Amino acid sequence: MQNSIRILIAAASMALLASCASTGESTDPTPQDVPQPEITGQPGQEAYSYAYGQAPGSYDSYDTGSGTYSGYSSGGQSGQSGQSGQSGQLGQPMAGMGGSMVSADRIVYFDFDSADIRPESQTIIESNAGYLRGNPRIITQLEGHTDERGSREYNIALGERRANAVRQVMSAMGVSSQQIRVVSYGEERPAASGRDEQSHALNRRVEIVY
Amino acid sequence: MKLIEKFISVLILLFGVTGLVHAQISLDITKKVESGGIPIAIAPFSGGAPENIAGIIAADLQRTGKFALQPPNAQASYSVTGQVNPGGSRGYIVQFQLNGAQGGTLLNLSFDIPANQLRPVGHRISDLIYEKLTGEKGLAGTRIAFVAGGGGVWYLVVADADGQNPQVILRSSQPIMSPAWSPDGSKLAYVSFEGRRPQIIVQDVYNSARRIVSAAPGINGAPAWAPNGQRLAFTLSKDGNPEIYALDLATQAPVRLTNNGAIDTEPAWLPDGSIIFTSDRGGSPQLYRIGAGGGAAQRLSFEGDYNARPAVSPDGRYLAMMHRRGGRFHIAVMDLQTRQFRVLTSGGTAESPSFAPNSQMIIYSDGQRLSAVSVDGTVQQDFALRGRARDPVWGPYGR
Repeated sequence: MQNSIRILIAAASMALLASCASTGESTDPTPQDVPQPEITGQPGQEAYSYAYGQAPGSYDSYDTGSGTYSGYSSGGQSGQSGQSGQSGQLGQPMAGMGGSMVSADRIVYFDFDSADIRPESQTIIESNAGYLRGNPRIITQLEGHTDERGSREYNIALGERRANAVRQVMSAMGVSSQQIRVVSYGEERPAASGRDEQSHALNRRVEIVY
Repeated sequence: MKLIEKFISVLILLFGVTGLVHAQISLDITKKVESGGIPIAIAPFSGGAPENIAGIIAADLQRTGKFALQPPNAQASYSVTGQVNPGGSRGYIVQFQLNGAQGGTLLNLSFDIPANQLRPVGHRISDLIYEKLTGEKGLAGTRIAFVAGGGGVWYLVVADADGQNPQVILRSSQPIMSPAWSPDGSKLAYVSFEGRRPQIIVQDVYNSARRIVSAAPGINGAPAWAPNGQRLAFTLSKDGNPEIYALDLATQAPVRLTNNGAIDTEPAWLPDGSIIFTSDRGGSPQLYRIGAGGGAAQRLSFEGDYNARPAVSPDGRYLAMMHRRGGRFHIAVMDLQTRQFRVLTSGGTAESPSFAPNSQMIIYSDGQRLSAVSVDGTVQQDFALRGRARDPVWGPYGR
């Protein structure tokens, strides 16, 4: 019975993602012509719900996290999703970069409590904008992040503000709005796990994900 | 007669840190209130059971800060005796007595329960004793929920109010945020990033069924149940920037309540249906209030340069918040009647306050671990949990 619930959830999620992926955009190009990062690749189930007291194994058997982050990739290297639209590489992944595996030329950093684009970020945005202009079928997801300080939900809003700032610069550079998606993870997916200013600076970022 | 033996109060005047505008804000850190509580002696229960029920009761009462545990046979003390034995129709018979300081039986009850109810019965007995001697409802039988893990796997966990008996009700390879109990304690609303986009989901705690409540383009965040359980407020950015919406769960029609170019997020309901939320419309995050149908916003917070994540006590009297001062984050509470403002924590990374159903205790996270503090700052509790725990929310009284 639990399996059937899981299948239903997975099916509902797929339907949801399919419907979301096709909303808010015009009909040209048609949806099947456009790479859909969220639903291509292996859409394997990512979440399992359990009735209270029915989770397999005791809580003690779960890895509840030590606060360190081991190689999370928001670029989709987990194989769960987001891989198939990746037909062009702008740079090499840098695995050692504070746990993030998005290459440095796809990361835009920000000052504390700010969504202003720094002058030195223009080059990174321009090179990605040029790539998108030359590959109109490629969709990028701009993922906004913050450091750990402050309220979690307010940081979601701040991360979105940062991602929108990058989107606006890209649009001004001639990238079609249909090629850009925005999502904010706030402080939930830090690139560096420390609580020092160096880690905070690495975490205040927008990742340009293909 | 020792009343308060070791009451450490640190008064930090914040002159010089934020200037003289808000002088005389005190930071009260009460390390320990050792006595002055109701004296009570709890004897080990006779018989045999896999749970130490007397120990559960003692820990529960100690945690309230209102009792002073005494050695057995102490003079002028209430006393608890009991026994637990295999038997009855369900597995165990638990019997206990609460006796007055001058003799006389105040409570004398027995329970016929299965083995997996021994710990809940301990909490139930604690609450019966607490209510008998204080006149208030106890919290021992309530539950908390929180988010554990991070960095690759996230868990939504429901535990007893003492942090024991943790139960995973959701495991995800994507972030989980902002759990919120339905007023009847049967459901949790939360934000899940499964599918690499935020959605607001309502999950039935007891049968695991889930329903996607909102999956609009952009932010879907900060769900908050109306006191009547029929509406859910949350944050959407589908119209360009984060705004507060309220959804009637029966009709599925979200109504927008704010309209401002700034960030509006983190709605919290007052008992009268009005909503307090975080907005940076004034340049920094502060708390504002709007009516049940929206309208003009009234600013509520003026202390410090950052106030966010409002939490309203169930009785509507107190407003707890994240409060930044000198670059450090604290939990602060405002009495909505008197406007008295008090900083309750000292660690510097406190976040995510949530009221217990008695409106007197606030649970919060420091980003790693959970603690609770009373609204007057005199009682502090730390929760011993494995791993990281964030975003705690205190559930309602049991049905």
